[in-house]
Amino acid sequence: MRSATIPTQTSRRGVLRGGAVAGGGALALALAGTGIKIRGAAAQDGTPVADSPFDAPVDVINYALTLEHLEATFYREGLEQFDDAAFEAAGFQGGEGGVREYIAEIAEHEAEHVEVLTGVVEDLGGDPVVEAEYDFGYQEGDLTGFLTVAAALENTGVDAYTGAAQYLIEEDDLLTAALTIHGVEARHAAYLNILTGTSPFPDAVDAPLTPDEVLAIAGPFIVADEAVEDEDDEATPEA
Amino acid sequence: MRHVDRLIMDAVQEERTWLGSRRGFLAGGAKLAAGGALAVAGVAAAPKLARLNAYAQDFESDVDVLNYALTLEHLEYAFYRDGIGLFTFGSDAFGFSIDEFLAVIRDHEGAHVATLTDVITQLGGEPVVEGAYNFADAYASVEGFLATAAALENTGVSAYDGAGASIESPDLLTAAGTIVAVEARHASYLNLLNGELPFPAAFEEPLSPDEVLEIAAPFLATAATPEA
Repeated sequence: MRSATIPTQTSRRGVLRGGAVAGGGALALALAGTGIKIRGAAAQDGTPVADSPFDAPVDVINYALTLEHLEATFYREGLEQFDDAAFEAAGFQGGEGGVREYIAEIAEHEAEHVEVLTGVVEDLGGDPVVEAEYDFGYQEGDLTGFLTVAAALENTGVDAYTGAAQYLIEEDDLLTAALTIHGVEARHAAYLNILTGTSPFPDAVDAPLTPDEVLAIAGPFIVADEAVEDEDDEATPEA
Repeated sequence: MRHVDRLIMDAVQEERTWLGSRRGFLAGGAKLAAGGALAVAGVAAAPKLARLNAYAQDFESDVDVLNYALTLEHLEYAFYRDGIGLFTFGSDAFGFSIDEFLAVIRDHEGAHVATLTDVITQLGGEPVVEGAYNFADAYASVEGFLATAAALENTGVSAYDGAGASIESPDLLTAAGTIVAVEARHASYLNLLNGELPFPAAFEEPLSPDEVLEIAAPFLATAATPEA
Protein backbone atom coordinates (compact mmCIF):
# COMPACT_ATOMS: atom_id res chain seq x y z
CA MET A 1 0.00 0.00 0.00
CA ARG A 2 1.14 3.42 -0.81
CA SER A 3 0.85 6.39 1.38
CA ALA A 4 0.53 9.86 0.14
CA THR A 5 -1.54 12.89 0.80
CA ILE A 6 -3.47 15.04 -1.56
CA PRO A 7 -1.83 18.43 -1.59
CA THR A 8 -4.77 20.23 -3.06
CA GLN A 9 -8.27 19.71 -4.31
CA THR A 10 -8.63 20.51 -7.94
CA SER A 11 -11.36 19.91 -10.43
CA ARG A 12 -10.23 18.73 -13.81
CA ARG A 13 -13.74 19.16 -15.08
CA GLY A 14 -13.46 22.86 -14.64
CA VAL A 15 -10.15 22.99 -16.42
CA LEU A 16 -11.35 20.77 -19.17
CA ARG A 17 -14.92 21.42 -19.91
CA GLY A 18 -14.70 25.12 -19.38
CA GLY A 19 -11.59 24.97 -21.50
CA ALA A 20 -10.34 27.57 -23.85
CA VAL A 21 -11.31 26.95 -27.42
CA ALA A 22 -9.14 29.67 -28.84
CA GLY A 23 -6.16 27.56 -29.71
CA GLY A 24 -8.16 24.87 -31.43
CA GLY A 25 -7.07 26.18 -34.76
CA ALA A 26 -3.50 25.27 -34.03
CA LEU A 27 -4.18 21.59 -33.84
CA ALA A 28 -6.54 21.78 -36.76
CA LEU A 29 -3.71 23.33 -38.72
CA ALA A 30 -1.33 20.74 -37.45
CA LEU A 31 -3.67 18.00 -38.49
CA ALA A 32 -4.28 19.58 -41.87
CA GLY A 33 -0.55 19.60 -42.42
CA THR A 34 -0.42 15.88 -41.92
CA GLY A 35 -3.31 15.02 -44.13
CA ILE A 36 -5.82 14.29 -41.41
CA LYS A 37 -9.23 15.45 -42.43
CA ILE A 38 -11.60 16.62 -39.78
CA ARG A 39 -14.77 17.41 -41.58
CA GLY A 40 -16.64 18.90 -38.70
CA ALA A 41 -18.50 17.91 -35.62
CA ALA A 42 -19.30 14.24 -35.68
CA ALA A 43 -22.72 13.31 -34.47
CA GLN A 44 -22.80 11.09 -31.41
CA ASP A 45 -25.92 9.33 -32.50
CA GLY A 46 -25.00 6.60 -34.83
CA THR A 47 -22.81 8.24 -37.39
CA PRO A 48 -22.06 5.49 -39.86
CA VAL A 49 -18.48 5.16 -40.99
CA ALA A 50 -19.58 6.52 -44.32
CA ASP A 51 -20.07 9.84 -42.54
CA SER A 52 -16.82 9.63 -40.66
CA PRO A 53 -15.00 12.90 -40.14
CA PHE A 54 -11.91 10.96 -41.17
CA ASP A 55 -11.10 10.13 -44.75
CA ALA A 56 -9.49 6.80 -43.97
CA PRO A 57 -8.64 4.51 -41.07
CA VAL A 58 -5.06 5.76 -41.19
CA ASP A 59 -6.37 9.23 -40.36
CA VAL A 60 -8.05 7.89 -37.24
CA ILE A 61 -4.75 6.37 -36.17
CA ASN A 62 -2.91 9.62 -36.88
CA TYR A 63 -5.50 11.43 -34.80
CA ALA A 64 -4.76 9.08 -31.91
CA LEU A 65 -1.04 9.48 -32.54
CA THR A 66 -1.38 13.27 -32.30
CA LEU A 67 -2.76 12.88 -28.80
CA GLU A 68 -0.19 10.27 -27.80
CA HIS A 69 2.64 12.58 -28.90
CA LEU A 70 1.14 15.31 -26.76
CA GLU A 71 0.99 13.02 -23.75
CA ALA A 72 4.40 11.41 -24.27
CA THR A 73 6.13 14.79 -24.53
CA PHE A 74 4.20 16.13 -21.58
CA TYR A 75 5.40 13.37 -19.27
CA ARG A 76 8.94 13.29 -20.62
CA GLU A 77 9.37 17.01 -19.98
CA GLY A 78 7.59 16.84 -16.64
CA LEU A 79 9.78 14.05 -15.34
CA GLU A 80 12.87 16.04 -16.32
CA GLN A 81 11.57 18.86 -14.21
CA PHE A 82 10.19 17.08 -11.16
CA ASP A 83 12.46 14.71 -9.28
CA ASP A 84 11.49 12.46 -6.44
CA ALA A 85 12.14 15.21 -3.91
CA ALA A 86 9.65 17.45 -5.69
CA PHE A 87 6.98 14.79 -5.31
CA GLU A 88 7.81 14.31 -1.66
CA ALA A 89 7.77 18.04 -1.09
CA ALA A 90 4.25 18.08 -2.48
CA GLY A 91 3.22 15.45 0.05
CA PHE A 92 3.38 12.39 -2.16
CA GLN A 93 5.13 9.16 -1.37
CA GLY A 94 8.56 9.01 -2.93
CA GLY A 95 10.97 6.24 -3.67
CA GLU A 96 10.18 2.78 -4.87
CA GLY A 97 6.48 2.35 -5.50
CA GLY A 98 6.09 6.08 -5.07
CA VAL A 99 4.05 8.47 -7.13
CA ARG A 100 6.88 9.60 -9.40
CA GLU A 101 7.63 5.99 -10.25
CA TYR A 102 4.02 5.47 -11.27
CA ILE A 103 4.08 8.63 -13.37
CA ALA A 104 7.24 7.32 -15.03
CA GLU A 105 5.35 4.13 -15.83
CA ILE A 106 2.63 6.18 -17.48
CA ALA A 107 5.27 8.10 -19.43
CA GLU A 108 6.65 4.82 -20.70
CA HIS A 109 3.20 3.69 -21.80
CA GLU A 110 2.64 6.86 -23.78
CA ALA A 111 6.02 6.50 -25.46
CA GLU A 112 5.11 2.94 -26.40
CA HIS A 113 1.78 4.10 -27.79
CA VAL A 114 3.62 6.64 -29.94
CA GLU A 115 6.03 4.02 -31.17
CA VAL A 116 3.38 1.47 -32.00
CA LEU A 117 0.94 3.89 -33.62
CA THR A 118 3.73 5.41 -35.69
CA GLY A 119 4.54 1.92 -36.94
CA VAL A 120 0.90 1.26 -37.71
CA VAL A 121 0.51 4.46 -39.75
CA GLU A 122 3.65 3.58 -41.69
CA ASP A 123 2.41 0.08 -42.30
CA LEU A 124 -0.83 1.49 -43.62
CA GLY A 125 1.17 3.57 -46.09
CA GLY A 126 0.50 6.84 -44.30
CA ASP A 127 2.63 9.66 -43.01
CA PRO A 128 2.81 9.49 -39.22
CA VAL A 129 2.35 12.82 -37.45
CA VAL A 130 5.48 13.84 -35.60
CA GLU A 131 6.05 15.46 -32.26
CA ALA A 132 5.22 19.16 -32.21
CA GLU A 133 6.21 22.00 -29.93
CA TYR A 134 3.93 22.34 -26.95
CA ASP A 135 3.10 24.68 -24.14
CA PHE A 136 1.39 22.77 -21.38
CA GLY A 137 0.48 25.85 -19.46
CA TYR A 138 1.70 25.02 -15.97
CA GLN A 139 4.27 27.16 -14.21
CA GLU A 140 7.78 25.83 -13.83
CA GLY A 141 8.06 23.90 -10.59
CA ASP A 142 4.31 23.69 -10.14
CA LEU A 143 3.79 19.98 -9.59
CA THR A 144 0.13 20.41 -8.79
CA GLY A 145 -0.36 22.23 -12.07
CA PHE A 146 1.50 19.47 -13.86
CA LEU A 147 -0.74 16.78 -12.34
CA THR A 148 -3.87 18.77 -13.13
CA VAL A 149 -2.88 18.99 -16.79
CA ALA A 150 -1.95 15.30 -16.72
CA ALA A 151 -5.43 14.39 -15.51
CA ALA A 152 -6.99 16.64 -18.15
CA LEU A 153 -4.94 15.04 -20.93
CA GLU A 154 -5.70 11.49 -19.82
CA ASN A 155 -9.41 12.03 -19.36
CA THR A 156 -9.61 13.75 -22.73
CA GLY A 157 -7.63 10.92 -24.28
CA VAL A 158 -10.10 8.33 -23.01
CA ASP A 159 -13.04 10.24 -24.40
CA ALA A 160 -11.25 10.82 -27.70
CA TYR A 161 -10.71 7.09 -28.18
CA THR A 162 -14.29 6.37 -27.11
CA GLY A 163 -15.55 8.84 -29.70
CA ALA A 164 -13.30 7.70 -32.53
CA ALA A 165 -13.55 3.91 -32.12
CA GLN A 166 -16.68 3.81 -34.28
CA TYR A 167 -14.67 5.05 -37.26
CA LEU A 168 -12.58 1.89 -37.13
CA ILE A 169 -15.60 -0.39 -37.10
CA GLU A 170 -14.73 -1.84 -40.49
CA GLU A 171 -11.15 -2.56 -39.42
CA ASP A 172 -11.36 -5.25 -36.77
CA ASP A 173 -7.66 -5.42 -36.01
CA LEU A 174 -7.18 -1.67 -35.82
CA LEU A 175 -10.27 -1.37 -33.66
CA THR A 176 -9.12 -4.01 -31.22
CA ALA A 177 -5.70 -2.39 -31.10
CA ALA A 178 -7.24 1.01 -30.37
CA LEU A 179 -9.39 -0.51 -27.64
CA THR A 180 -6.35 -2.00 -25.92
CA ILE A 181 -4.89 1.51 -25.69
CA HIS A 182 -8.20 3.08 -24.70
CA GLY A 183 -8.41 0.95 -21.55
CA VAL A 184 -4.91 1.91 -20.47
CA GLU A 185 -5.65 5.61 -20.89
CA ALA A 186 -8.66 5.10 -18.66
CA ARG A 187 -6.47 3.44 -16.04
CA HIS A 188 -4.09 6.40 -16.17
CA ALA A 189 -7.00 8.83 -15.92
CA ALA A 190 -8.38 7.10 -12.84
CA TYR A 191 -5.02 7.27 -11.07
CA LEU A 192 -4.43 10.91 -11.96
CA ASN A 193 -7.91 11.80 -10.80
CA ILE A 194 -6.97 10.37 -7.42
CA LEU A 195 -3.73 12.36 -7.35
CA THR A 196 -5.68 15.52 -8.10
CA GLY A 197 -8.25 14.79 -5.44
CA THR A 198 -11.22 13.76 -7.53
CA SER A 199 -13.10 10.52 -8.06
CA PRO A 200 -11.24 8.01 -10.24
CA PHE A 201 -14.55 7.13 -11.89
CA PRO A 202 -16.82 10.17 -11.90
CA ASP A 203 -19.61 8.63 -13.98
CA ALA A 204 -21.09 5.25 -14.83
CA VAL A 205 -20.12 5.87 -18.45
CA ASP A 206 -17.32 7.86 -20.07
CA ALA A 207 -18.95 10.21 -22.55
CA PRO A 208 -17.34 10.17 -25.99
CA LEU A 209 -15.82 13.35 -27.42
CA THR A 210 -15.89 14.23 -31.10
CA PRO A 211 -12.63 15.12 -32.84
CA ASP A 212 -13.74 18.75 -32.88
CA GLU A 213 -14.31 18.73 -29.15
CA VAL A 214 -10.94 17.12 -28.57
CA LEU A 215 -9.25 19.70 -30.78
CA ALA A 216 -10.82 22.47 -28.76
CA ILE A 217 -9.30 21.02 -25.60
CA ALA A 218 -5.91 19.89 -26.90
CA GLY A 219 -5.30 22.63 -29.43
CA PRO A 220 -4.18 25.27 -26.94
CA PHE A 221 -1.26 23.05 -25.92
CA ILE A 222 0.20 22.98 -29.40
CA VAL A 223 2.25 26.08 -30.20
CA ALA A 224 4.03 24.95 -33.33
CA ASP A 225 4.05 21.98 -35.57
CA GLU A 226 6.71 21.27 -38.12
CA ALA A 227 4.11 19.61 -40.21
CA VAL A 228 2.29 22.90 -40.66
CA GLU A 229 5.08 24.15 -42.87
CA ASP A 230 4.87 21.04 -44.92
CA GLU A 231 1.94 21.52 -47.24
CA ASP A 232 2.23 18.04 -48.60
CA ASP A 233 -1.23 16.65 -48.15
CA GLU A 234 -0.85 13.89 -50.62
CA ALA A 235 1.17 11.50 -48.52
CA THR A 236 -1.90 10.13 -46.86
CA PRO A 237 -3.91 7.84 -49.07
CA GLU A 238 -7.52 8.73 -49.51
CA ALA A 239 -10.13 6.19 -48.64
CA MET B 1 -9.00 -27.30 -4.23
CA ARG B 2 -7.76 -23.79 -4.58
CA HIS B 3 -9.72 -20.80 -3.56
CA VAL B 4 -11.63 -19.18 -6.32
CA ASP B 5 -10.03 -15.80 -5.94
CA ARG B 6 -6.63 -17.45 -6.13
CA LEU B 7 -7.67 -19.13 -9.32
CA ILE B 8 -8.71 -15.85 -10.78
CA MET B 9 -5.60 -14.10 -9.62
CA ASP B 10 -3.56 -16.83 -11.27
CA ALA B 11 -5.35 -16.13 -14.50
CA VAL B 12 -4.69 -12.45 -14.12
CA GLN B 13 -1.09 -13.18 -13.28
CA GLU B 14 -0.69 -15.24 -16.42
CA GLU B 15 -2.14 -12.36 -18.33
CA ARG B 16 0.44 -10.05 -16.86
CA THR B 17 3.32 -12.35 -17.53
CA TRP B 18 2.26 -12.54 -21.10
CA LEU B 19 1.92 -8.79 -21.27
CA GLY B 20 5.31 -8.40 -19.67
CA SER B 21 7.01 -10.58 -22.22
CA ARG B 22 5.36 -8.73 -25.04
CA ARG B 23 6.40 -5.51 -23.52
CA GLY B 24 10.00 -6.65 -23.55
CA PHE B 25 9.54 -7.31 -27.20
CA LEU B 26 8.33 -3.78 -27.77
CA ALA B 27 10.96 -2.20 -25.60
CA GLY B 28 13.58 -4.14 -27.49
CA GLY B 29 12.58 -2.00 -30.39
CA ALA B 30 11.89 -4.94 -32.62
CA LYS B 31 10.42 -3.57 -35.78
CA LEU B 32 6.86 -4.65 -36.08
CA ALA B 33 6.31 -7.17 -38.76
CA ALA B 34 5.46 -5.32 -41.91
CA GLY B 35 2.40 -5.93 -43.91
CA GLY B 36 -1.21 -5.55 -43.10
CA ALA B 37 -3.00 -3.86 -40.35
CA LEU B 38 -1.69 -6.32 -37.87
CA ALA B 39 1.70 -5.21 -37.96
CA VAL B 40 -0.41 -3.84 -35.15
CA ALA B 41 0.86 -7.17 -33.95
CA GLY B 42 2.81 -5.14 -31.46
CA VAL B 43 -0.45 -4.16 -29.88
CA ALA B 44 -2.16 -7.46 -29.48
CA ALA B 45 -0.30 -10.64 -30.17
CA ALA B 46 -1.14 -11.80 -33.64
CA PRO B 47 -2.19 -15.35 -32.86
CA LYS B 48 -4.50 -14.16 -30.15
CA LEU B 49 -6.03 -11.53 -32.37
CA ALA B 50 -6.55 -14.02 -35.12
CA ARG B 51 -8.38 -16.24 -32.67
CA LEU B 52 -10.43 -13.36 -31.36
CA ASN B 53 -11.43 -12.21 -34.77
CA ALA B 54 -12.23 -15.76 -35.75
CA TYR B 55 -14.38 -16.00 -32.66
CA ALA B 56 -16.18 -12.88 -33.72
CA GLN B 57 -17.88 -15.00 -36.33
CA ASP B 58 -19.55 -16.91 -33.50
CA PHE B 59 -21.54 -13.96 -32.27
CA GLU B 60 -24.59 -14.05 -34.46
CA SER B 61 -25.69 -10.52 -33.74
CA ASP B 62 -24.97 -7.41 -31.75
CA VAL B 63 -27.60 -8.63 -29.29
CA ASP B 64 -25.41 -11.67 -28.64
CA VAL B 65 -22.44 -9.46 -27.90
CA LEU B 66 -24.50 -7.26 -25.61
CA ASN B 67 -25.88 -10.27 -23.77
CA TYR B 68 -22.35 -11.48 -23.27
CA ALA B 69 -21.45 -8.11 -21.75
CA LEU B 70 -24.63 -8.15 -19.70
CA THR B 71 -23.72 -11.56 -18.28
CA LEU B 72 -20.52 -10.09 -16.90
CA GLU B 73 -22.19 -6.95 -15.63
CA HIS B 74 -24.75 -9.05 -13.73
CA LEU B 75 -21.90 -10.96 -12.14
CA GLU B 76 -20.09 -7.78 -11.12
CA TYR B 77 -23.16 -6.03 -9.83
CA ALA B 78 -24.27 -8.99 -7.71
CA PHE B 79 -20.75 -9.36 -6.36
CA TYR B 80 -20.65 -5.80 -5.04
CA ARG B 81 -24.29 -5.59 -4.03
CA ASP B 82 -24.14 -8.68 -1.83
CA GLY B 83 -20.58 -8.25 -0.64
CA ILE B 84 -19.69 -4.72 0.29
CA GLY B 85 -21.93 -4.68 3.35
CA LEU B 86 -19.95 -7.53 4.85
CA PHE B 87 -16.86 -5.45 5.48
CA THR B 88 -15.65 -2.09 6.62
CA PHE B 89 -12.83 -1.11 4.34
CA GLY B 90 -11.71 2.20 5.77
CA SER B 91 -9.61 4.69 3.86
CA ASP B 92 -7.20 4.20 1.00
CA ALA B 93 -3.65 5.52 0.91
CA PHE B 94 -4.89 8.84 -0.43
CA GLY B 95 -7.47 9.41 2.25
CA PHE B 96 -10.52 8.46 0.23
CA SER B 97 -13.18 6.23 1.73
CA ILE B 98 -12.87 2.81 0.12
CA ASP B 99 -16.39 1.98 1.24
CA GLU B 100 -17.75 4.97 -0.62
CA PHE B 101 -15.82 4.23 -3.78
CA LEU B 102 -16.93 0.58 -3.73
CA ALA B 103 -20.52 1.76 -3.42
CA VAL B 104 -19.96 3.99 -6.44
CA ILE B 105 -18.55 1.06 -8.38
CA ARG B 106 -21.56 -1.05 -7.37
CA ASP B 107 -23.88 1.66 -8.64
CA HIS B 108 -21.98 1.87 -11.92
CA GLU B 109 -22.34 -1.85 -12.47
CA GLY B 110 -26.02 -1.59 -11.64
CA ALA B 111 -26.36 1.19 -14.21
CA HIS B 112 -24.55 -0.93 -16.79
CA VAL B 113 -26.94 -3.82 -16.13
CA ALA B 114 -29.96 -1.54 -16.50
CA THR B 115 -28.66 0.10 -19.67
CA LEU B 116 -27.65 -3.11 -21.42
CA THR B 117 -30.93 -4.79 -20.44
CA ASP B 118 -32.83 -1.85 -21.87
CA VAL B 119 -30.83 -1.73 -25.10
CA ILE B 120 -31.20 -5.48 -25.70
CA THR B 121 -34.93 -5.21 -25.11
CA GLN B 122 -35.18 -2.30 -27.52
CA LEU B 123 -33.34 -4.34 -30.13
CA GLY B 124 -35.95 -7.08 -29.77
CA GLY B 125 -33.63 -9.42 -27.95
CA GLU B 126 -34.05 -11.30 -24.73
CA PRO B 127 -31.75 -9.93 -22.04
CA VAL B 128 -30.04 -12.50 -19.85
CA VAL B 129 -31.14 -12.25 -16.24
CA GLU B 130 -29.13 -12.41 -13.09
CA GLY B 131 -27.93 -15.89 -12.24
CA ALA B 132 -27.14 -17.59 -8.97
CA TYR B 133 -23.55 -16.98 -8.03
CA ASN B 134 -21.14 -18.42 -5.58
CA PHE B 135 -18.92 -15.82 -3.99
CA ALA B 136 -18.41 -17.67 -0.71
CA ASP B 137 -14.63 -17.75 -0.99
CA ALA B 138 -14.39 -14.17 -2.14
CA TYR B 139 -16.54 -13.05 0.76
CA ALA B 140 -14.39 -14.86 3.33
CA SER B 141 -12.01 -11.98 3.86
CA VAL B 142 -11.38 -8.36 2.94
CA GLU B 143 -8.32 -9.45 1.01
CA GLY B 144 -10.28 -12.06 -0.90
CA PHE B 145 -13.00 -9.59 -1.69
CA LEU B 146 -10.65 -6.93 -3.04
CA ALA B 147 -8.58 -9.44 -5.00
CA THR B 148 -11.70 -10.88 -6.59
CA ALA B 149 -13.07 -7.41 -7.33
CA ALA B 150 -9.84 -6.52 -9.12
CA ALA B 151 -9.87 -9.78 -11.05
CA LEU B 152 -13.47 -9.27 -12.15
CA GLU B 153 -12.79 -5.70 -13.30
CA ASN B 154 -9.58 -6.55 -15.13
CA THR B 155 -11.29 -9.48 -16.80
CA GLY B 156 -14.22 -7.26 -17.71
CA VAL B 157 -11.92 -4.87 -19.56
CA SER B 158 -10.34 -7.74 -21.47
CA ALA B 159 -13.77 -9.13 -22.30
CA TYR B 160 -15.05 -5.88 -23.77
CA ASP B 161 -11.81 -5.35 -25.67
CA GLY B 162 -12.01 -8.84 -27.10
CA ALA B 163 -15.63 -8.50 -28.15
CA GLY B 164 -15.54 -4.92 -29.46
CA ALA B 165 -14.64 -5.89 -32.99
CA SER B 166 -17.68 -8.16 -33.12
CA ILE B 167 -20.08 -5.26 -32.80
CA GLU B 168 -21.52 -4.11 -36.09
CA SER B 169 -23.42 -1.01 -35.08
CA PRO B 170 -21.29 2.13 -34.64
CA ASP B 171 -23.75 3.32 -32.00
CA LEU B 172 -23.49 0.18 -29.95
CA LEU B 173 -19.73 0.13 -30.31
CA THR B 174 -19.56 3.64 -28.88
CA ALA B 175 -21.89 2.64 -26.07
CA ALA B 176 -19.68 -0.33 -25.24
CA GLY B 177 -16.70 2.02 -25.31
CA THR B 178 -18.28 4.31 -22.76
CA ILE B 179 -18.71 1.33 -20.43
CA VAL B 180 -15.35 -0.39 -20.87
CA ALA B 181 -13.53 2.84 -20.05
CA VAL B 182 -15.26 2.88 -16.69
CA GLU B 183 -14.43 -0.78 -16.10
CA ALA B 184 -10.79 0.12 -16.73
CA ARG B 185 -11.06 2.96 -14.22
CA HIS B 186 -12.47 0.53 -11.66
CA ALA B 187 -9.69 -1.95 -12.43
CA SER B 188 -7.09 0.77 -11.98
CA TYR B 189 -8.38 1.72 -8.55
CA LEU B 190 -8.81 -1.86 -7.38
CA ASN B 191 -5.30 -2.74 -8.48
CA LEU B 192 -4.11 0.18 -6.42
CA LEU B 193 -6.00 -1.11 -3.38
CA ASN B 194 -4.39 -4.51 -3.87
CA GLY B 195 -0.93 -2.99 -3.94
CA GLU B 196 -0.62 -3.67 -7.66
CA LEU B 197 0.30 -1.31 -10.42
CA PRO B 198 -2.97 0.31 -11.56
CA PHE B 199 -1.79 0.05 -15.18
CA PRO B 200 0.29 -3.12 -15.48
CA ALA B 201 1.05 -2.76 -19.18
CA ALA B 202 0.95 -0.26 -22.02
CA PHE B 203 -1.82 -2.27 -23.68
CA GLU B 204 -4.83 -4.18 -22.39
CA GLU B 205 -5.06 -7.82 -23.27
CA PRO B 206 -8.22 -8.68 -25.19
CA LEU B 207 -9.72 -12.02 -24.18
CA SER B 208 -12.07 -14.25 -26.13
CA PRO B 209 -15.45 -15.20 -24.64
CA ASP B 210 -14.11 -18.72 -24.07
CA GLU B 211 -11.26 -17.38 -22.01
CA VAL B 212 -13.50 -15.01 -20.09
CA LEU B 213 -16.12 -17.61 -19.30
CA GLU B 214 -13.43 -19.95 -18.09
CA ILE B 215 -12.36 -17.29 -15.61
CA ALA B 216 -15.92 -16.46 -14.60
CA ALA B 217 -17.20 -20.03 -14.48
CA PRO B 218 -16.28 -20.74 -10.86
CA PHE B 219 -18.66 -17.99 -9.78
CA LEU B 220 -21.59 -19.29 -11.73
CA ALA B 221 -23.42 -21.52 -9.29
CA THR B 222 -26.07 -22.21 -11.81
CA ALA B 223 -25.84 -21.49 -15.47
CA ALA B 224 -27.63 -18.32 -16.37
CA THR B 225 -25.07 -17.80 -19.05
CA PRO B 226 -25.91 -17.53 -22.70
CA GLU B 227 -24.31 -19.94 -25.08
CA ALA B 228 -21.63 -17.36 -25.77
